[in-house]
Amino acid sequence: MTSGEPITGGADRIVRDVVCGFCGLGCDDLEVAVAGRAITPRTACPEAARLLARSDAPPPSPRINGAPASFEDATAAAAGHLKAARSAAFSGLGADLEGLRRLYDLAMASGASLDHAASGGLFANLERLARKGWIAATLAEVRNRCDVLVVFGDDPASAFSRFFSRAVPVRGEGADGDAAPLFVTAPGRRQIAVVGGPLSEASRRVLAAHEVTEIAVAEQDVATATSVLTALVAGRVVDGLAGLPEATVAALAALAEQLKAARYAVFTWNAASLPAEDAPVVAGAASEAVDVLSVTTRAAVFPLGGRDNVTGAHQLALWRFGYPLRTAVGAGTSRHVPELYATAAALPDADLLLHTSAFRPDAPPDFDRGPVIAIAHPDTVFAREPEVFIPVGTPGVDYGGHVFRMDSVVCLPLQALRPAELPSVAEAAAAILVSFGRGA
Amino acid sequence: MRTRITGGRVFDPANNIIDQVRDVLLEDGRIIADSPPVAGEQRVDASGTIVLAGGIDLHSHIAGGKVNLGRLLMNEDRALFPEPFGDFCGCGGGRAAPTTHATGCRYSQMGYTAVFEPAVVGANARHAHLEMADIPNIDTGGFLVLGNDDFLLRLIAQGEGQQAINDYVAWMLKATQCCAIKIVNPGGINAFKFNGRALDFDETGPFYGLTPRRVLNTLQRAVSELGVPHPIHLHGCNLGVPGNVKTTLATIGASEGFPLHLTHIQFHSYGTEGDRHFSSGSAEIAEAVNANPHISVDVGQIMFGQTVTASADLMSQYRNHGIADPKKWIGMDIEMDAACGVVPFNYRDTSFVNALQWAIGLELFLLIEDPWRVYLTTDHPNGGPFTSYPHLIRLLMDKPFRDEHLGRIHKAARAHTKLAEISREYTLEEIAVVTRAAPARTLGLRDRGHLGPGARADVVLYEEQADREAMFAAPRLVMKDGEVVVVNGEVVALTQGRTYAVHPPSDPLMDKRLERWFDEAVGLKASHYKIADGEIRDGQGPEIVELMP
Repeated sequence: MTSGEPITGGADRIVRDVVCGFCGLGCDDLEVAVAGRAITPRTACPEAARLLARSDAPPPSPRINGAPASFEDATAAAAGHLKAARSAAFSGLGADLEGLRRLYDLAMASGASLDHAASGGLFANLERLARKGWIAATLAEVRNRCDVLVVFGDDPASAFSRFFSRAVPVRGEGADGDAAPLFVTAPGRRQIAVVGGPLSEASRRVLAAHEVTEIAVAEQDVATATSVLTALVAGRVVDGLAGLPEATVAALAALAEQLKAARYAVFTWNAASLPAEDAPVVAGAASEAVDVLSVTTRAAVFPLGGRDNVTGAHQLALWRFGYPLRTAVGAGTSRHVPELYATAAALPDADLLLHTSAFRPDAPPDFDRGPVIAIAHPDTVFAREPEVFIPVGTPGVDYGGHVFRMDSVVCLPLQALRPAELPSVAEAAAAILVSFGRGA
Repeated sequence: MRTRITGGRVFDPANNIIDQVRDVLLEDGRIIADSPPVAGEQRVDASGTIVLAGGIDLHSHIAGGKVNLGRLLMNEDRALFPEPFGDFCGCGGGRAAPTTHATGCRYSQMGYTAVFEPAVVGANARHAHLEMADIPNIDTGGFLVLGNDDFLLRLIAQGEGQQAINDYVAWMLKATQCCAIKIVNPGGINAFKFNGRALDFDETGPFYGLTPRRVLNTLQRAVSELGVPHPIHLHGCNLGVPGNVKTTLATIGASEGFPLHLTHIQFHSYGTEGDRHFSSGSAEIAEAVNANPHISVDVGQIMFGQTVTASADLMSQYRNHGIADPKKWIGMDIEMDAACGVVPFNYRDTSFVNALQWAIGLELFLLIEDPWRVYLTTDHPNGGPFTSYPHLIRLLMDKPFRDEHLGRIHKAARAHTKLAEISREYTLEEIAVVTRAAPARTLGLRDRGHLGPGARADVVLYEEQADREAMFAAPRLVMKDGEVVVVNGEVVALTQGRTYAVHPPSDPLMDKRLERWFDEAVGLKASHYKIADGEIRDGQGPEIVELMP
């Protein structure tokens, strides 16, 4: 199914301009049909359609050690476990900002390390952003100014279905005076280069009007190719340096010339889909290319990411604690040690896991050193029954809330699409906090 | 319950009460008219203190995307200044880019009860508001950055009438829940997106063919006709460029009778005289401000030490990024609205330029005669962290203290400033004006900045001390809406503030135009760009500032 293709279904009520909080691209023109509590997506990308679709079935009740329990008992049990814990890890953090605020309150009260399930790509990018910085652009700037777009790695549409149609739309004949792009000289024809790939057939169709160059590079060579391209842009010698095929280096050299002639070049990559050790290299090389180009022309990076509001979790951590995620908070202090507090690193030392995943039914990571509290999507299938399971509604389906778009600038309002029968993450975390405080 | 604050020396210049020992009565969060004591009223002994209204900072970058980028770059500063332990510790800290909780607590501890974020970019407004809602103990508001937004520039370039401009400005103010309009480098941020590297006041910018003067005048007329109380809050052209005193004087001369606020004017008061081609333009600027009663300024004093500069002016920040200290910086072009540049700086008294900047700021404070048109700021954190205000107040109030500090700065800079010749010392009355009464007046906040009946019960008691820095750093008592939040410089309670906004009406046709613009150009629905009242402070909604028709 290609992006934007309508999914039809009969219903009582059509909701238009639905904001989507799932992948991070922040599309806000989706359409769903709602009948009672059933939701049938009508216009949505495949991932959003899968995550928005709901049946009329009643939601599960909370569980304590696998047995049905009331919300009050479940939150009290969660608080009891938190009180007994000495080293709690909060993982997942898939929630709207309101939910995250209450989860962070809880972490401050109980003491816990904080990390998001999708923070891997973010931290690869922070290797560059926090240490040296970069020049970035937001989505509307890319839409309207970008005349040369360079993609490093795999097809962005594999994780962000509508990326190309939203970031580099074509301005057709007779288009509205407001239609993007407003500032690209040949509006119907931008230069799109993919270093990595391949593009899917669907992406090739979306990009058909543009001048597309696919420079096929194997996944493990993308970082090298990125560095070579930056070196070529900077006028450095790359002979014999890369181990890349001659044809690839020649294609990168041609791309470097296009970039130097560009008015507003944009570099994009999905750090989460690159090999972990290569992602920071790509972020660094792309940012350096922008630095070099900026001396004479304009250029920017546009890093892809932001699944399940990881950008919001990052922003909130910064304004609350002054540090990004992978920080342990409690007893009035914060310690930011990414090597210790990334979920995978924190779990071997933790004695409690509190996992939150409201956007999708992602199970908690494996953990057997203590109790597991799951504030989770009702469809979550657990490999090991958590000590406490509190099913929660989905932001943007069952209740409203706020999520950040991947560019970290635009924060979007999610709306409820149906009457909520499950609590929100904020309600669940607040209830645990009340129980925690009452007995403390 | 009624509270009587008794025995203090009251400074309430807005009500023409200067250094009078008298009672101040509070009831239900408001100040009420003095009346005979009644049974059960609470008494607060204010003897030995001076009594002021809560402080108001009208220009301090406390929230939003660029502040968070500042936090990201300032991990060392954050680690060096953790919040103090205790019941009111929020697991945060930092001095140059403090966390939300630390921001509220540190401001509150100095006796401030309202702080305005002066650079809200429309696309980032929701973030700024969410962050402001997380700041305890202070009321907040945002100034919306316009003047580089493509929709506006196109309206002006196409020769659309003033009414269309006004409708757009009104629509944007309401959509972003802001309370004033700020212009940052008019047209310049936009020009940089087209690779323009400088844009002087009467220079024609790329693509739209507009001069900064035209952008400024158009928006001045808009806020004036809409009745927005605060005039255009202008960060002018050529920030930080030696010789920009000419630009600033031209700007003052171009205001066409409309009131105009020139922000962080210290950064816009540089000459090119002397062997280093960098000199103080403060005398000319002060003379022009003194001669033009429709001009107000805040200073943007620089304070020595580590900080981070965060500005929407990417054109200027790109120019400055080479002197970043530590060597890292972030730039961003933002959503057809504006941009941002975040550059760490370390101002050193051993640097000729920094030392002279310090002296220029103080000269401006001391040479501009009317305290009602000067507001005390460091342009936090751009000139220095707001926590340096007590030190700055002492520099203004204490000539020997000032001279002692002048004696420590770079020798050549000392030779380039007339600071030693200026004998003026700010009085307590003048401090009450520049930190309270004047900012409240320019923002149209009728129930703030004074202690008259009907005012918000934000009251501060400062222990009278010869050391004005110590005095203003740790008030004996701070009341916010009648509730005690600080005792002897320590936070004792946390309260939720409010958010100020203006909601001028706009023609519904503008809704239609902007719906199309957002759909087609921006790629976001106008309805999702707009911030609903209920989104402000978890449903509390904004406090609407009255328009002045």
